[in-house]
Amino acid sequence: MEEKKLKLGIPKGSLQERTLKIFQRAGFEIEVPERRYILNIDDPEIECLLLRPQEIPKYVEKGKLDVGLSGDDCILEAKAKVIEVCDLRYTKQIKRLRWVLAVPKDSKIKSIKDLQGKIISTEAVNLVKDYLKKNKVKAKIEFSWGATEVKPPRFSDAIIDLTETGASLRAHNLKIIDTILLSSTKLITNKSTWQDKWKQEKIKDLALLLQGAVKGEEVVSLMMHVPGGKLKTILKVLPKLKSPTIKKLTGENWYDVTISCDTKETRELIPRLKRMGCQGIVEFPINKIVR
Amino acid sequence: MKNKLLKLGIPGWTFKEPIEELFKKTGYDFKIDEKSSAVYIDDQEIDCFFARAKELCPLIERGILDGGIVGRATRAETKTKLTEVCDLGSLYLGQETKIVLAIPEKSKMKSLKDLKGKKIITRIPEITKDFLMKNKISASIEFSDGTNEAKVPSFADALVEFTNTGATLKTYNLKIIAVLIKDSVILVANKKSLKDKWKREKIEKLAILLKGARLAQEMVGLMLHASNEMVEEVLKVLPSLKKPTVTQLRGENWFDVFTVADKKEIRNLIPKLKKIGCTDIVEFPLNKVVI
Repeated sequence: MEEKKLKLGIPKGSLQERTLKIFQRAGFEIEVPERRYILNIDDPEIECLLLRPQEIPKYVEKGKLDVGLSGDDCILEAKAKVIEVCDLRYTKQIKRLRWVLAVPKDSKIKSIKDLQGKIISTEAVNLVKDYLKKNKVKAKIEFSWGATEVKPPRFSDAIIDLTETGASLRAHNLKIIDTILLSSTKLITNKSTWQDKWKQEKIKDLALLLQGAVKGEEVVSLMMHVPGGKLKTILKVLPKLKSPTIKKLTGENWYDVTISCDTKETRELIPRLKRMGCQGIVEFPINKIVR
Repeated sequence: MKNKLLKLGIPGWTFKEPIEELFKKTGYDFKIDEKSSAVYIDDQEIDCFFARAKELCPLIERGILDGGIVGRATRAETKTKLTEVCDLGSLYLGQETKIVLAIPEKSKMKSLKDLKGKKIITRIPEITKDFLMKNKISASIEFSDGTNEAKVPSFADALVEFTNTGATLKTYNLKIIAVLIKDSVILVANKKSLKDKWKREKIEKLAILLKGARLAQEMVGLMLHASNEMVEEVLKVLPSLKKPTVTQLRGENWFDVFTVADKKEIRNLIPKLKKIGCTDIVEFPLNKVVI
């Protein structure tokens, strides 16, 4: 019988650290040996490879990898036909990664329409092609190996590049005139892998754990002591949809109430609960939440 | 409607890391960028302003800022009238920051009285002046910033300086002969701002969260199973800060006990509980503790 093994691709670079953290919270220990791209993962059923993010969609499509993590930008750019298993977007991130169209501050180009016949530098040629086609604009696309911000106005008229805060663009006197794509991370697989029953189950389990870990970053557990007389009023204040766990304290007219809620909600909730007479409010982080 | 905004002063340098960590624990996305003097917080009702604590105190007193995080010593040194909203303890976990008067180990001076006519260097001349006046000693005080420990006895006879562990003083063969004041981090507010109901509530809510996060840094959650016969003894051993939650395990003569404990106590506590016969002892980190 063939050895059961799932080949997994992890993106190297900016997404690497966060990806490894999510896996850790999901319950997998991954070790990255120096200068090696085969990672040690503590699951004998998974083989883990570190690859350039741009390459992962292609390898998944071709079945060289069974499953991988990749941004939508890379998937679109590679024009890879893959199956998206789940979205692992990190919503708490201060600013989201996005692909933008930027031009020099003093440029006469005001919108995409003005790009007709101009030169655009980018690392994502296919992405830009589709974008121009959609807007019915003809322009020359020049592939850039990197440091794209430095190219206008000397080497090109505009760029389409990935940005998080926009600081690097500002530093090069560029202004954003359009957002092309908001990128988020996806867990992807291919058809033939998906048809293998064992692999499909393994991937589904992995997706459940990873999603739980992503959600777990935004959710905390809140525990408090509530006097018996106030239980009803306080239960009304607690976020709905999340049925609280209520335990009576042994031999006392106090209750222990535990809920999970969004980290952001605690800002208003904790001061309010304290004012309402709750005692011993304890908040603790959780690794995963699966609802 | 007028946009409601709380203007908050945030100090950097030695404060940077502990404050960032504290805000993160409260559930905020929070970043201090010292290079561009910018502070990011994901709360539209708070506008953070970055400066040295020394500069923040007068800005808060004048009402340019509504409140801020400063050192107790800095408030005393700048002689500003700021209302303390809450005390967040020492900047460094498990340590106590003090302002001390130190002299060379080999010095002939034996007591404070011997300082008469001597030269004292310090970065906090006002506090030093007050201290000398209270003790009726006339000595010359010279302002000096930087590594003052290295300047005694070459440039001065004594120094008044901040210390946490006393290690730097020891390195330079200095001994402490008096403690002037204990320093701690405080959340302060402008008196007038506190009269504004919205601002007062906003800063009080922030105080509850920060204080809760600060307390949680020193504590852990503890969960264990104890049999009926053990419970009484277990409850005696457990710290009484928060009433432990005791729940009976289904269909058994055993109980589940949940509590929080001081990190320092835990080393003694766990072996003790084990000896009593408790099983399944689980310790976990906390985000906030509001008692």
